[in-house]
Amino acid sequence: MNSLDFSIVVQAWPYLWSGLLFSLALTAVAFVVGLVLGTCLALVQHFELPVIGRLVRGYVALMRSIPLILVLFWFFFLVPIVLGHLSGNGRPVPIGATWTAFITFGLFEAAYYSEIIRVGLRAVNRGQFEACQALALSTFDTYRSVILPQVLRVASPIILSQTIILFQDTSLVYVLSLTDLLGAASKLAQLNGRLVEMYLVIAVVYLAISSAASQCVASLRKRYAIAGR
Amino acid sequence: MLQLAAGNKMGPSASIVTVENLEKRFGHFTALSDVNLTVAAGEKIVLCGPSGSGKSTLIRCINHIEKHDAGRIVVDGVELTGRMEDINGVRREVGMVFQSFNLFPHLSVVENCMLAPMKVRGLSRAEAHERAIGLLRKVRIHDQANKYPGQLSGGQQQRVAIARALCMQPKIMLFDEPTSALDPEMVKEVLDTMVELAKDGMTMVCVTHEMGFAREIADRVVFMDRGCIVEEADPETFFRAPRTERARDFLGQIIH
Ligand SMILES: Nc1ncnc2c1ncn2[C@@H]1O[C@H](COP(=O)(O)OP(=O)(O)O)[C@@H](O)[C@H]1O
Ligand SMILES: [Mg+2]
Repeated sequence: MNSLDFSIVVQAWPYLWSGLLFSLALTAVAFVVGLVLGTCLALVQHFELPVIGRLVRGYVALMRSIPLILVLFWFFFLVPIVLGHLSGNGRPVPIGATWTAFITFGLFEAAYYSEIIRVGLRAVNRGQFEACQALALSTFDTYRSVILPQVLRVASPIILSQTIILFQDTSLVYVLSLTDLLGAASKLAQLNGRLVEMYLVIAVVYLAISSAASQCVASLRKRYAIAGR
Repeated sequence: MLQLAAGNKMGPSASIVTVENLEKRFGHFTALSDVNLTVAAGEKIVLCGPSGSGKSTLIRCINHIEKHDAGRIVVDGVELTGRMEDINGVRREVGMVFQSFNLFPHLSVVENCMLAPMKVRGLSRAEAHERAIGLLRKVRIHDQANKYPGQLSGGQQQRVAIARALCMQPKIMLFDEPTSALDPEMVKEVLDTMVELAKDGMTMVCVTHEMGFAREIADRVVFMDRGCIVEEADPETFFRAPRTERARDFLGQIIH
């Protein structure tokens, strides 16, 4: 076996870089969309709204029981058909692999984040709600200024774990023929036969990004530990 | 409109709270039955009675944290009927202090006091800040204004909770055993704050078993048992010569 040769990685760096950017962009969009939508889904369940409450519960259960890779497939074929129906003429409207990836990841992650937020909402002390009532705060202000900030703080470590999983899951976009960091490394490795170097380097990249994110949350938690219970 | 007019006509000594034939049930359990109570402007009432007698439930009905099942509650001329508009109208004028403080842990002391005046009363940040600092000074805790509730002692937290309620400039303050969760050495600082508030003329309904406090400020002691008001008297009379057997038993227990 040849000795390791990392010069190959340097040459390949621009391609790996573009893969990494795609992974990060997909993670960021899915994080924002997922967290905002997930919070809404959690609130709908929390308020026990009669019909949509059950629909949302069904949606969350469905998403959580199906592998992401399958959902990607379905969305790639289904979303164009649904859009076609909505647009009226019934012909499928292709949206392309990139849009499919962003939409699917956002909707999929929303189910996971909503479950985290829903549990967090249940953990908030009843006295917090009563204090808001006694101060005549509206329901909107109660959740926006008092309840959700506490939930997000308490849940931030779990939200982070989920987001790291999300970042790693971005590699599944290969089924849509998109290229993320892992995909870029695999393709290059196959071309130049330097599998070990490639996979070593991207493992380090994954590790660096994940631990940077963990550090970030750890320092946030430290601040909040001082700032309240 | 009718209620508003009536509210204005009644003048300063009119009642701020009127409770008539109040009933409250939890499932099949009747927590309050046929409770009647009026609180005049400026009046201080101490509510006492055994645990589970319905004291908390009664004052929580007054700001509609609990919804009553029958009877009437009129606060400052507005009847609580279940309309959100009326409920919030009443809550704006009624301050409440809880046994467990219920401060917002993610907000600093001064932010705790600023939130509702800004969101509900529409004060600017600067106005809310000025008012909050003024009232924190009044409860002698303004030097802790930028700390978080978790960094304060229980007595300090309860004084912040009092200031937070006062920042809404309520017409009446409800206290639900404000000193019961405190270590003994902190009870006094909270009671002193409440006495000062009483001397400023605030209308108050206090659930408490602190007899010294009741003697000092109460105009009336209301004794409850098993969901009913059993006895009402001025504090001297109530503590010296309770009329009912149940009140005598109760007083025997809290004096040890
Ligand atoms: N949310 C509730 N659900 C069921 N029962 C309740 C609830 N709140 C209070 N109760 C019952 O109502 C009675 C009166 O309670 P409470 O007003 O808290 O008494 P107090 O404040 O005088 O100790 C108690 O028997 C209590 O168990
Ligand atoms: Mg009680």
